[in-house]
Amino acid sequence: MALIEIENVRKTYQVGEQEIQALAGVNAQIEEGEYLSIIGPSGSGKSTMMQLIGCLDIPTSGRIVLDGVDISKASNNLLSRMRNTRIGFVFQSFNLLAKLNILENVELPMIYSGLSTRERKQRARDAIEAVGLSERIRNRPSQLSGGQCQRVAIARALVNKPKIILADEPTGALDSATGEMILNLFRSLHQQGNTVALVTHDPDIAMETPRRIELRDGNIVSGAQSHYQRFRDQASAAPAVQAIPPAS
Amino acid sequence: MNPFLGIREGFREIYAHKFRSFLTMLGVILGVASLMAMYALTEGMAEGSRQRLTESGGVERVRIIKAEVPPEQEEIAEISPGLTYTDAKALRENTTLLSAIAPQVGHGGNIVRGGRKYNPRLQGIEPDTYITDKHNVVQGRFITDLDVERRHRVIVIGQTVVENLYDESEYEQILGSLIHINGEPFTVVGVLEHYKTEQQKRREATDRAAAQKERRKRLGGRNRSWDPFWFKNRLAAIPITTMQQVFKSSYEVDGVNLGADRSLSDMYVQVADLERFDEAIEQIRNVLDTTHKGIQDYGFETRQDWFENIEAGVRAAQLTGGLIAGISLLVGGIGITNIMLASITERIREIGIRRAVGATQLDIFVQIVIESLVLAIIGGLLGIGAGLGLIEGLQVLAGQGADPPILKADAIVISLAFAVTVGLVAGLYPAYKASRLSPIQALRYE
Repeated sequence: MALIEIENVRKTYQVGEQEIQALAGVNAQIEEGEYLSIIGPSGSGKSTMMQLIGCLDIPTSGRIVLDGVDISKASNNLLSRMRNTRIGFVFQSFNLLAKLNILENVELPMIYSGLSTRERKQRARDAIEAVGLSERIRNRPSQLSGGQCQRVAIARALVNKPKIILADEPTGALDSATGEMILNLFRSLHQQGNTVALVTHDPDIAMETPRRIELRDGNIVSGAQSHYQRFRDQASAAPAVQAIPPAS
Repeated sequence: MNPFLGIREGFREIYAHKFRSFLTMLGVILGVASLMAMYALTEGMAEGSRQRLTESGGVERVRIIKAEVPPEQEEIAEISPGLTYTDAKALRENTTLLSAIAPQVGHGGNIVRGGRKYNPRLQGIEPDTYITDKHNVVQGRFITDLDVERRHRVIVIGQTVVENLYDESEYEQILGSLIHINGEPFTVVGVLEHYKTEQQKRREATDRAAAQKERRKRLGGRNRSWDPFWFKNRLAAIPITTMQQVFKSSYEVDGVNLGADRSLSDMYVQVADLERFDEAIEQIRNVLDTTHKGIQDYGFETRQDWFENIEAGVRAAQLTGGLIAGISLLVGGIGITNIMLASITERIREIGIRRAVGATQLDIFVQIVIESLVLAIIGGLLGIGAGLGLIEGLQVLAGQGADPPILKADAIVISLAFAVTVGLVAGLYPAYKASRLSPIQALRYE
């Protein structure tokens, strides 16, 4: 059984009189240890997909099984519990709490899983060490650079040993060099056996991952229709920069 | 989530917005302070009244008073001799439930000694007055049965009388000294204690200078109204028989001398057993009905009415004060609710993050309620501090005139309990609102 099974999942939103279909019957599976990206332009339904996998919301219809737990009709409390124990979120804007220092930010998920203070501190320190920020442990997020903040956020995502790390545009707020560093970090997390899903609109980033789930207008697209495929075909068909013919 | 962590979070949040938190707490601070001050004031009032009651004879003391004759007896009212010395004798012989019977005859008079003159409360009494009026002799003795029987020309004087007739250097020579009342000579045989309220005693114990000042004031005769013992300290007591012989020797009606005036100005009795109070009153009524020939020209003034009046007064004061303090606490609570609502709006994103990493709705709810509680409890503690200050201030403001506020532990506990309740209730709605936020919306919120 796959880590995540998505069967015919629909999600519709009511916006005023209008009913908007964010996901129109999606089927997908994500295996344990996979490194994949969920890609699509804005409005494609990728954010909705992430919210459903991330237990932030439940589908209008269809079935999602995460780590053997059917979450498609889960209660609010069960969803909280699943987020706490199975999911690690990394956001574009880091979403660290400004009034807490780095250690306390990383501790946050464990506060809600009822771990002892000593274990919390130990695991938070280990996770911060793993992203290479041990010396900034007492600093506030405002005293850190964007790249460092994102590493703290990754440490926070990892600290409860989640089944899957969901990264929503993790490089969106970073310059390309720093973004590259963060992507390297995700790659090495994958190599250590973590399941990582990057949610992005950027084909460049999607190219990082061996597998892509591409969404458009609420459906998964593949093969010839794939935006990503076309992007690659174009890239191989024509040289990126056409030589200007010499003037005769 | 561990509640201790919640409390730490609450403190952190309050500390992060110190001034705002203080303003928020202000309502609770004032509410608790006024609640405490109100309790202390009414408690002081009640205590003062109870004290005056006990020290002036207690609930056991009953005063027999002259009363309006009922209309149907008006025609024959004059067959009753009124309240006379005979009544006292009859009561003494025919009642079993009274432990003291104290007839008194008052008379106007000036005491002269050396070049000094004083206008005391001159009373002809019997030894039982010692019991009913709770007297205490510091020098010499009280009026005795022998004095009454032999009509001795002796006098027992109160402290105010002493202060007005003797220099401090003469205090050793008071006993045996001769004074004149309306020209009649009397020998001083006893000096009464200086009667003071507990409050006066306390103040004098702690502050000698204040005592001095107070005495000067008393000599000046001002501030009479507040001293419950002003009357008692002015007493000049002689045997009742001496009074009748010397000052009331003739009683003329329409030019006919009826001999010595045997009428009493006051009669106090003390009931031996409070359990049988009503029975005792019935006994007195039986006796007096006989001596007054059935005319209902007497009545009873019992301290039980007074006692009940005190309790009712205190309850009314407490209710009024409690209402005012309650309203200010309510306002304080509304202030907390208001600020908590503003605070959660400010922190929607934080709530979203907490929800994303696994906080349940209950976790968020508890966090906000704890924050509100911490706010209220800190406010309550500051309020207790402010209340102590307020009580101190009121004590000074009220001066010596009023009963001093008495602070009991339960006033503090009740005030704090109110603050906690207010904090709890004030936090409920904001906490509910915060817990209902959708994590997706909250994360998206800028």
